[in-house]
Amino acid sequence: MSLALVALALAASVLAILAVAMGYVLGWANRKFHVAVDPHVELLQAALPGANCGGCGYIGCSEYAAALAEGNTTVGLCAPGGGSCAQKLADILGVEVQESCPYRAVVHCSAHTHQRLQRAGYEGERTCVSANLVAGVQGCTYGCLGLGDCARACQYAAARIVDGLSTIDYDRCVGCGACSRTCPRNIITLVPFKAERMMVVACSNQDTAADVRAVCEVGCIGCKACVRVAPELISMDGALPAINYDHYNPEEAEALESVLEKCPRKRYLFVGKPTPEDLAAVEHEELPEAVTADFKTTVDDTEWRG
Amino acid sequence: METLTGLILIFISAALINNFVLHYFVGICPFLGVSRRVDTAFGMGCAVTFVISISTMLNWMFTSFILRPGAPLPAWVWRTAGGNPQTQLDLSVLSYIIYIFVIASSVQFVEMYVRKFSPPLYKSFGVFLPLITTNCAILFASLEVLKHMQDPANLWSLPQALTLALGGGIGFTLAISLMAGIREELDLCDVPRPLRGAGIALIVAGIMAMAFMGFTGVEKGVETALTSLLR
Repeated sequence: MSLALVALALAASVLAILAVAMGYVLGWANRKFHVAVDPHVELLQAALPGANCGGCGYIGCSEYAAALAEGNTTVGLCAPGGGSCAQKLADILGVEVQESCPYRAVVHCSAHTHQRLQRAGYEGERTCVSANLVAGVQGCTYGCLGLGDCARACQYAAARIVDGLSTIDYDRCVGCGACSRTCPRNIITLVPFKAERMMVVACSNQDTAADVRAVCEVGCIGCKACVRVAPELISMDGALPAINYDHYNPEEAEALESVLEKCPRKRYLFVGKPTPEDLAAVEHEELPEAVTADFKTTVDDTEWRG
Repeated sequence: METLTGLILIFISAALINNFVLHYFVGICPFLGVSRRVDTAFGMGCAVTFVISISTMLNWMFTSFILRPGAPLPAWVWRTAGGNPQTQLDLSVLSYIIYIFVIASSVQFVEMYVRKFSPPLYKSFGVFLPLITTNCAILFASLEVLKHMQDPANLWSLPQALTLALGGGIGFTLAISLMAGIREELDLCDVPRPLRGAGIALIVAGIMAMAFMGFTGVEKGVETALTSLLR
């Protein structure tokens, strides 16, 4: 027999034996080391939007799906998915969807740049986190700094800075809470939106009236007029009024309007999507030019001075 | 003592002097792809070290018994077939296909095993293990061992092969962790616009490779130092 023939036969048989042996070992291992996975998890994961925003409190959609399958949590925590997603999840798990309302971000400050007093020049890094470390950037130590950490944190382009004040676009906000976690002054909270428009307290300053007047043209002075008008809806939390949203009924427009009128500083605001009447009222006004998308890397977001 | 010196030399050579990534330029894809953050880079490095050791061990067995010139199995078959004992049956052409085969299957097996018996380890390795199957640094370690299995009088033993694999894996971990550290700092630097991303990463890798060139020739000094130390 020639060398080449033996070599060929040996090579072929070595490979064939190796393939069969490895195939057998892997097949055996696959059965022996089989890990049973709950089939619900995959279905639930497919039903979730996959945005991995973390708004539900879990690290990404797969963690939430696993927690749902184990019954540790409830459907309807997914803010981007909304009601239809909650329904799908409930169908998979065979449970009822509980009545829920979406949560949306609310900025508890309404002072634009010119309304904030005692402002000093700030030449540091253009982020709120850095500016918050410096004393005396502006008089109010509670209010919005207007350097846009929330706008950079928002994946849905809903938060933006308008005239030095963080402003939420409620057509875009999905209530993931990225902005409220980012804000170094903790003035953005998530409010249950029982209606398209919700009344909110638009100030965070806990100081006394004289101190507030010294640093802000519009801040809440803590006069408690609102609490006297609607004691069951509004209570004082320190020097600031707080709305109890459990008792908030969007149908009772008159009660809400009376609170709005009574406030001497007009610190109650309706935020949310505008009503058709509001749109009609500003119809004749010229809209600012549409802002086109500016595709930037995260490195570009870091602005440096000096 | 001779063998211990040899092993230490092989280790230092694989980890530093002839670093897999920075001297031979193998395993570049994970080196650039998974080097954005130090903790993931370190995890990738550990997974590579683990897999490279296991697959090199298996491949050393196949090399030593089947693939190298003058290996026992082909020699026995050739004798049984009644061939001339002067000529040799050489199966080293099969090295690539068998190595890749062994690496892929062993990674699969390890993944299943870890998933069953150590879920936390599976979670931390999870993404990297399947990626490593196609990492050329691992195939390269087996091929390096094959190079030292050509001469029947001077064969590499299993400890030597394992030391090379371990050194290569640790050298890879070192290189990728250093790279990730530099890239984390780079995120805060004002890099010229055209160089951002892959451009500056490749420039950094090149400068790192030049820095590692400084180790060239160190092995002679290390050898003298070790022999005088261990005598």
